[in-house]
Amino acid sequence: MRIEKSTSLLPEVKRGRKVQITVDGKPIEAFEGETVAAAMMASGFRVFRTTAKDKMPRGMYCGMGICFECLVTINGVKNVRACLTPVTDGMTVVTQEEVAA
Amino acid sequence: MKEVRYELAVVGGGPAGMEAAITAAEAGVSTVLIDRYPQPGGQYYKELPAEFSARHRTKVEAEGDMLIRLLGGVEITRYFGTLVWGIFPKEGEKGWLIALTGNESPRLITADSVILATGAYDLPMPFPGWTLPGVISAGAALILVKTQRILPGKRVLVTGSGPLLLSVAAHLIEGGAEVVEICEASRPFWKAIPYIPFILGQTNRIEEGFKYLSTILRAKAPYRIGWSVVEARGNGKVEEAVIARLDNRLNPVPSSRRTVKVDTIISGYGLVPNNYLSRMMGCKHSYVGEKGGIIPERDETMQTSLPSVYVVGDAGGIGGAELARLEGRVAGVAVASRLGRLGHSTAQWEYGKLRSLLRRQQRFAEMLGKVFVRGSDLFNLSTDETTICRCEEITRREIRAAIEMGARSVTEVKMLTRTGMGNCQGRMCEHSVRNAVMAFTGQSYLDIDKGGAYSIRPPLEPMTVEELAKAAQELNFSE
Repeated sequence: MRIEKSTSLLPEVKRGRKVQITVDGKPIEAFEGETVAAAMMASGFRVFRTTAKDKMPRGMYCGMGICFECLVTINGVKNVRACLTPVTDGMTVVTQEEVAA
Repeated sequence: MKEVRYELAVVGGGPAGMEAAITAAEAGVSTVLIDRYPQPGGQYYKELPAEFSARHRTKVEAEGDMLIRLLGGVEITRYFGTLVWGIFPKEGEKGWLIALTGNESPRLITADSVILATGAYDLPMPFPGWTLPGVISAGAALILVKTQRILPGKRVLVTGSGPLLLSVAAHLIEGGAEVVEICEASRPFWKAIPYIPFILGQTNRIEEGFKYLSTILRAKAPYRIGWSVVEARGNGKVEEAVIARLDNRLNPVPSSRRTVKVDTIISGYGLVPNNYLSRMMGCKHSYVGEKGGIIPERDETMQTSLPSVYVVGDAGGIGGAELARLEGRVAGVAVASRLGRLGHSTAQWEYGKLRSLLRRQQRFAEMLGKVFVRGSDLFNLSTDETTICRCEEITRREIRAAIEMGARSVTEVKMLTRTGMGNCQGRMCEHSVRNAVMAFTGQSYLDIDKGGAYSIRPPLEPMTVEELAKAAQELNFSE
């Protein structure tokens, strides 16, 4: 969920323009300036992909483009790091079911 | 191809990279600054996205704003939202070809000198269940809370070692999460005693620490010293965590295990220098546990074994933002002086000013390295069933089997099991595979030049085959 209150460590911010993206066909609210990973977390999405070999769920781990655990398909492009990609209005995000090569 | 040439390329726009770029550019060096994020600041200042605005700024944010304003006042070419996937020596002449991928950058630029300020990332700590969604790094938690104002969960366990745990816990509490437990794996705080007079001089840090502690105390979040997470459980995502006390050899005590209901586990067991570029370029590296593991060898001007290549900040060894800023300035002076933009005596005078400041910060880093446990000491949090290589889904048992078959080094385990061959290129498992090899073969040290570390090859970032083909043409790759 999004933090709305203002505290000394986290002074209130005004987010960017409200946009809509879809994740696995479900429309979710997001704000410009947010990353895809953050918008997904804010809407309760935890599972970003399912692994090829053991079919195990994975979610965001490092949050800074190092671990490649948050790979999703964005506007038809596979294997995009959700944590480094900013949302844009109308973006289509699909969580990945990976298959062994 | 039209050549885009600079005297200096700085990779990484955090505290170290910004200082290096400002210092060099102010002396008249033509400088380009490259960073993967759309805005400067890096993981320490954690700037808000340009689309967000805030009326009030915290102290750290204000400090970052000031540095960014300074950066704006100097002539520096900026490629932000841009990734460096390789740096190659220019054939037959001095200088480096820097290969970029990003929306608005050229594909290749040339620079005579390179300063790498690529920072660090959280040490990936394997324990049973750590691949479940809901286990996230301390860095990820801070990015979500500070730059995105989003909570990673409602009921949170914060586990790891070091002062960063306090910062994470305090931010989560103020953001509205319930911090159920804070587990600090290190117990021997007496190791900090010799440093007390020194710590008392660090008023900024004391003030920051007290602020975090008072938030944690008010929320009555338990801070357990000598404890750690030992297991994450749940159906498809984290639903509970098992924590346990660690004995003096840092092994979990089975009788102390207790289960807590949480939806998020935040793992912060220290930082690893992000050194893939300097390793790929062929700078000499060595293993220094207290500084986060594999680090480049540097002289007092931050120069690596390659004369035109410098590494500054956490990428050169974990030392924090203050040290990073100073190292950035030192390297900026060094490059300007190399190019003749600063006279020898001016450069010496600048170094002299920085030296005592550097020593203070180095001492602070040394203390943190001694007091808090290193991730490599906690290899026993994993079991044979634990996934070590997350990308290729290789368990500790498979690594053990490779060692029983005769593997004696990190690279041999890689060849036999595929560890480190997935998308992250080994950034997540290298240190664990190293620990496994040492633990299962009884070696106390692995020489990183003799298979004790992965070999790093381009491209360091994912790119399309088309992009790679175009770049290869321009680079004249023969193979």
